Amino acid sequence: MELDTQLNHAPCGYFSITAEGLLLRSANQTLLQMLGYESPELADRHVESILSLANRLFFHTYFYPYIQLYGQVKEMYLALRTKDGRDLPVLMNGVRLERGGELFIDCVALEMNKRIEHEKDILRTKTQLEALYQATQEANVRLEQLHAEYEAKQQELLRLNAQLEALASTDPLTGLRNRRFFKDSLAELLAAYAKNGQPFSMLILDIDHFKKINDTYGHPVGDLVLSSLAALLRSASGSADIAARYGGEEFAVLMPGADRASVIGAAERYRAGVEAASWEGLRITISVGAATVSPGDTDETLVNRADQALYASKSGGRNRVTYGETER
Amino acid sequence: MTIDILARNNVKVLGRGEQPILFAHGFGCDQDMWRYIVPGFEADYRVVLFDHVGSGRSQIQYYDTDKYSDLRGYAQDVNEILDALQLEDAIFVGHSVSSMIGLLASIRDGSRFKRIVMIGASPRYMNDSPDYFGGFDASEIQDLLNMMEMNFIGWASYMAPIAMQNPDRGELAEELERSFCSKDPHIARQFAEVTFLSDCRGELARTPVPSLILQCAEDSIAPIEVGNYLHEHLKNSTFRLMNAKGHYPHLSHPEETTSLIRQYLADA
Repeated sequence: MELDTQLNHAPCGYFSITAEGLLLRSANQTLLQMLGYESPELADRHVESILSLANRLFFHTYFYPYIQLYGQVKEMYLALRTKDGRDLPVLMNGVRLERGGELFIDCVALEMNKRIEHEKDILRTKTQLEALYQATQEANVRLEQLHAEYEAKQQELLRLNAQLEALASTDPLTGLRNRRFFKDSLAELLAAYAKNGQPFSMLILDIDHFKKINDTYGHPVGDLVLSSLAALLRSASGSADIAARYGGEEFAVLMPGADRASVIGAAERYRAGVEAASWEGLRITISVGAATVSPGDTDETLVNRADQALYASKSGGRNRVTYGETER
Repeated sequence: MTIDILARNNVKVLGRGEQPILFAHGFGCDQDMWRYIVPGFEADYRVVLFDHVGSGRSQIQYYDTDKYSDLRGYAQDVNEILDALQLEDAIFVGHSVSSMIGLLASIRDGSRFKRIVMIGASPRYMNDSPDYFGGFDASEIQDLLNMMEMNFIGWASYMAPIAMQNPDRGELAEELERSFCSKDPHIARQFAEVTFLSDCRGELARTPVPSLILQCAEDSIAPIEVGNYLHEHLKNSTFRLMNAKGHYPHLSHPEETTSLIRQYLADA
């Protein structure tokens, strides 16, 4: 079939093949120029002669079945094989039509040399992005692992710190708070008193004749008495109270919120409790000095007042409670 | 969990006859490709059509990258379809790669097979120099995969973890899905790789049933050398060279294809 002049020189390749045998029946001048052929060369050649092997495979796998089933193909990317063996990338549309009792597949091929470079750019970018995405994912996983490890270590550190803190503020023999902790707590309570007027009291208690117990029964027994007394203090003190081992056989209790009456009451409870407790044949008593914070007190003056009261208890015959009154 | 095999493989049963005949589509297609052939068998056969998992209207959730990394995965499905329909003495017609899938299925369990018909079959697409000519070099297979990459929308822009969020492409996507017979470009790619890198030469001698080899004239995907190789290595095989040229005689020359199959079955 003769092509009209317009189609022959249209700015796209055009060719027609038989639907049954895939033989080239016509091709326009533009296509011939694209592929580097002279007009008669391609006549009745198989369509495969303008396709590379991979493109034949693609053509047979996708283009042909689809056009046979649905009558047309749109925008399929293929590469045509030029006469000198180069691949010419084209975008193809195809339509299956009947002419004079025979079925033909008419195709238009648009060169996409420039477009293919864009496509390749996109593919390259995609590949890079995928690699980047993968690397980022992997880095994130690693980062999360590190973070989890860091968190675990942090927790461990906090736990160790708390343990260390407890150890540093605990008296090893009795398990009560130590003198350092007592002093820190006292300073805090004094600061709170200065700031908000929150009252508190303290008491110092001392085991009567402890030296004699040590000398008579030995240090192990002395230590046992100390730890038993500590246990008693712990169980008898309120939850806010801070019981500490203050010195050798001296203990101190800080009582936030306690006034004169309640500190005296508490001191008396301790004293009576110790006296009433069973000490495996020993007679153990304590002397207690109590004091309540008052304006102008420092740790020194307050402790001193309690200490003086304790001294008074001792010199007054022991096994008693004395309250260190503030001078008015 | 029991899998509904018939739904998984979009199995269709047609026809008014007793003798079961199963048609299996090849790579890049679905059961639609048999539309010009089915009418020639409906009257006196029980026609069974199906889609391979990942193709056509199969249930894509059953696509398992490991299972389908080997043609045996597809073969197992064929066995399962035959079992599910309880077909006896079935005739299996496979196009292209499905010829080998049917052959592998008959080796796995030949009890339900009577005959295998192979259209455009190849036990190995790649050349294995110097003794075997399959028609393709590795670079040409790679070129094909590149062509697919350029043509599959959603493949170029496919970043596996992100793709699910792609906006709907509506009708265009549907048309593309149809033209490539696959909803998922990665499945199509794996099917391509599994197909074109497969090598079933070692299995041919184990085929338990007689077969018909339909060799197209000038088939550039399964050239005549490949057909001859099949005929040599398949016992009880019948070789017929067709007038049809190309790789899809059931689309280009349905009458010839139908009559050759019917003739073979009548002679059997």
